[in-house]
Amino acid sequence: MDRYDVVVIGAGNGGLTAAATLARRGINVLLLERHNIPGGCATSFCRGRFEFEVALHQLSGLGLPEKPGPLRGILDQLGVTGKLEFVPMTDLYHITIPGQIDLTLKPDRAAMTAELQKHFPHEREAIESYIQLVYDLFSQVLGAFFFRDPEVTRGKYPLYFQYALKNTQEVLDKHFKDPLLKSVISPYWVYMGLPPKYMSFVDMTAMLFAYLEFIPFHIKGGSQALSNALADTIISSGGTVRFNCGAQKIVVEDGKIRGVITENGEEVSTRYVVSNASKITTYVDLIDKEHVPDKVFEEMQQCSLSQSGFTIYLGLDCEPQNLGITQSTNFILCHTDSDLAYERMKVIDIDERDYMLLSCFNLIDPDFSPPGTSQAALVTLKYGEPWLRIPPSQYAREKYRVADSMLQVAEKVFPSLRDHIEEIEIGTPLTHMRYLGTQKGAIYGFDHYLKSSTLFIPNKPHIEGLYGAGGWVGYNGFQTTLESGVRAAKAILKDMKS
Amino acid sequence: MKKEVVEQLDGYQEIAKDIELARKYGSDFTSEKGAVAAYINRLHPARLRLRVSDIFVETPSTKTLRLVAVDRTLPPFQAGQYLSLFMEIGGIRTSRPYSISSQPNQTGYYDITVKRVEQGLVSTYLLDSVGRGDELVSSGPEGNFFFNPIVHKKNMVGIAGGSGITPFVSMIREITDRGLDRTMHLFYGNKTDEDVIFHEELTQLAKRFDNISYIPVIEEPAGAYTGACGYVTGGLIRDLMGDIEDKSFFICGPQGLYDFCLPELESLGIPRRKVRQEMYGAPPNIWQYPGWPENVDKDYTFTVKLRDGRQFEAKASESLLLALERNKVVVPSLCRSGECSQCRLKIISGKVFQPAGVPVRKSDARFGYVHSCVSYPIEDLEILV
Repeated sequence: MDRYDVVVIGAGNGGLTAAATLARRGINVLLLERHNIPGGCATSFCRGRFEFEVALHQLSGLGLPEKPGPLRGILDQLGVTGKLEFVPMTDLYHITIPGQIDLTLKPDRAAMTAELQKHFPHEREAIESYIQLVYDLFSQVLGAFFFRDPEVTRGKYPLYFQYALKNTQEVLDKHFKDPLLKSVISPYWVYMGLPPKYMSFVDMTAMLFAYLEFIPFHIKGGSQALSNALADTIISSGGTVRFNCGAQKIVVEDGKIRGVITENGEEVSTRYVVSNASKITTYVDLIDKEHVPDKVFEEMQQCSLSQSGFTIYLGLDCEPQNLGITQSTNFILCHTDSDLAYERMKVIDIDERDYMLLSCFNLIDPDFSPPGTSQAALVTLKYGEPWLRIPPSQYAREKYRVADSMLQVAEKVFPSLRDHIEEIEIGTPLTHMRYLGTQKGAIYGFDHYLKSSTLFIPNKPHIEGLYGAGGWVGYNGFQTTLESGVRAAKAILKDMKS
Repeated sequence: MKKEVVEQLDGYQEIAKDIELARKYGSDFTSEKGAVAAYINRLHPARLRLRVSDIFVETPSTKTLRLVAVDRTLPPFQAGQYLSLFMEIGGIRTSRPYSISSQPNQTGYYDITVKRVEQGLVSTYLLDSVGRGDELVSSGPEGNFFFNPIVHKKNMVGIAGGSGITPFVSMIREITDRGLDRTMHLFYGNKTDEDVIFHEELTQLAKRFDNISYIPVIEEPAGAYTGACGYVTGGLIRDLMGDIEDKSFFICGPQGLYDFCLPELESLGIPRRKVRQEMYGAPPNIWQYPGWPENVDKDYTFTVKLRDGRQFEAKASESLLLALERNKVVVPSLCRSGECSQCRLKIISGKVFQPAGVPVRKSDARFGYVHSCVSYPIEDLEILV
């Protein structure tokens, strides 16, 4: 039987950084991945002369070399920064509500404030004070969490104590009267899945702060390049990566990790497992029920599955400018009712009531697709449940029908989109389920309600030696899942020492 | 964060109440056990057990194998998709992709139509050794060569060569069976009229249905033949099609067909986005391919070393995938044409020849990964499988 110090299950962002961190410390690590490429969400696929980015829209927390963010530190330590080319985005986002507003914000606090004030002069002071609050609140969050203050008190962090459990809508309503402005300033809620009514204001603050201070980035070669670079670090540091080989079972004895049985039935022995699989898969499919403490399922009762996505990947035979695409990140909203947009995520159909995002990185990366072409991803969030009810024989038809109506909405903003499609691929919740192996194709882990957050469900091992990484044990998104793997690895290193 | 701190946060009581309720009425995820695999298996099974229920002789060199499911219902497919068959022949575990020639509305079976390839390991096996009642293992339906209603015009022009006819037969049968509002003009090129597969059926369907036309084109016609001769040229297409603006083009056949027809379509001014091209295996006679290094003879052999210590000799003229299979190293594979990336592996040292245009991810190329089905050793290699 092969023996490894640590077995990492799943080469998603969290699994990759966990394995890379451990391998670089000389730990004998085995990374199992059921797909034939590393990355999980952070992958790409080829169609014709295009290589499509699957999931990364705006990488947060990286920062420029002269003003590095937390993610750059991590990637530096893992030795991958030098293997990659990062392209800073020139826009924070472009947002269109046809007939109502069309504006582009820059990833810069002053510029963003000024642009918003120009469009909403009647909310001048409110805009100023809202952004001030974002910064003030987030610096308290940084002090309490990032710098790990051992003594967090209301006296030191009054804003945090006041806002920690507030939702975003409450804060928006308190600051602004204009519903249009509330929409324009908060489209990022779709990056976490819950509308402002449910989204933690601290989460919104963290996201806006990260993008404004450290600029959103694109990676040349897409997120697959990052995944490949991390896999390369693992291999060159002496770690073992097995593609096309998932885990079948995590072996537990007396409440302790003893090994892992791979998809081909091979048993490897280990005392530590980092699971980058969904938390449900980990505890329901991989571990025999009698070894799972009741507490795990009790905690999971506080959680619900997040959305999946519906994405149209487009390879276009002209430059983005010919289609009227002038920014990398384009939010398309046809109304300002975020609650309605959220309700729409529970049905199969897509129409003007759905919010969507069109990303096109040719504008900042000429190599993103061949010369004279462009590549765009049109995405909206959808819960997977109704897709599971479609009979297999109807699946293709539904996929085309929904994609067609989604394109119709996008064509309101980019009218000639359809006339230039050379390659097209449609990803439904079932597609995400197939490639990610998550329940109902969830892409964000559990819904990010406060009650399900790490404030109330700390990411601590319930079985000795079992650690979690990825979007199921904390935040979703690239920066945070990449960080989660490093955290899991460090916890194991600490445990190994003691 | 410490529990006592969390309890002091404004609004804690309300969330605590929420949590209490959730713990009573929240989701029970234990019911998800096995659910993901079960749902995916309905549409995209990794493997299918199939039984040969019938065999039809199509031409002296071609047979259709009718395959029924052994232990489940067959997953749906789109006309034009293929199956990969996995076999062990003479101790070699290998696979081959075959387009499904039956129509997707016929849900009881998949037909694959196999043409004899000279000295072909797999076609010989399927044509000579597989009989009614035998079991085969396949992938689920795969591939991207199909009509996509979002972008394709309802007027389709098909250009097939040799056994490249099979996806079009599936498409035409679906159109006529289901009465789809779609037309198919099919140009079908073959060397001799003996090579033509499905000639009778296509001729009859074209007679019966206004929306189907069938134009066989024979390169070396025998005496009495009166149809189109030579190649499928741009001129022929233009003369018979008239308006080419409102049409989508689909092409499937051997490399020679692409080498000749794609430039012809381009010369008609048909933009690339209107032409869909199916894969058709690795290019033949790779040593004659543009870019093949002059100093490497096709009969050279090189040593391939694996990380686990195994090593073997591999011919320059044979794909790395096949060499691995011959030496009992199992590498996943599906399309065997360079596209699907299943057979991706890492070259640690040494060089392989890869024909131009193989869609390898940019970062895969950067970190030394190749698609082994279209990679040929031109130096001694060390690889990571």
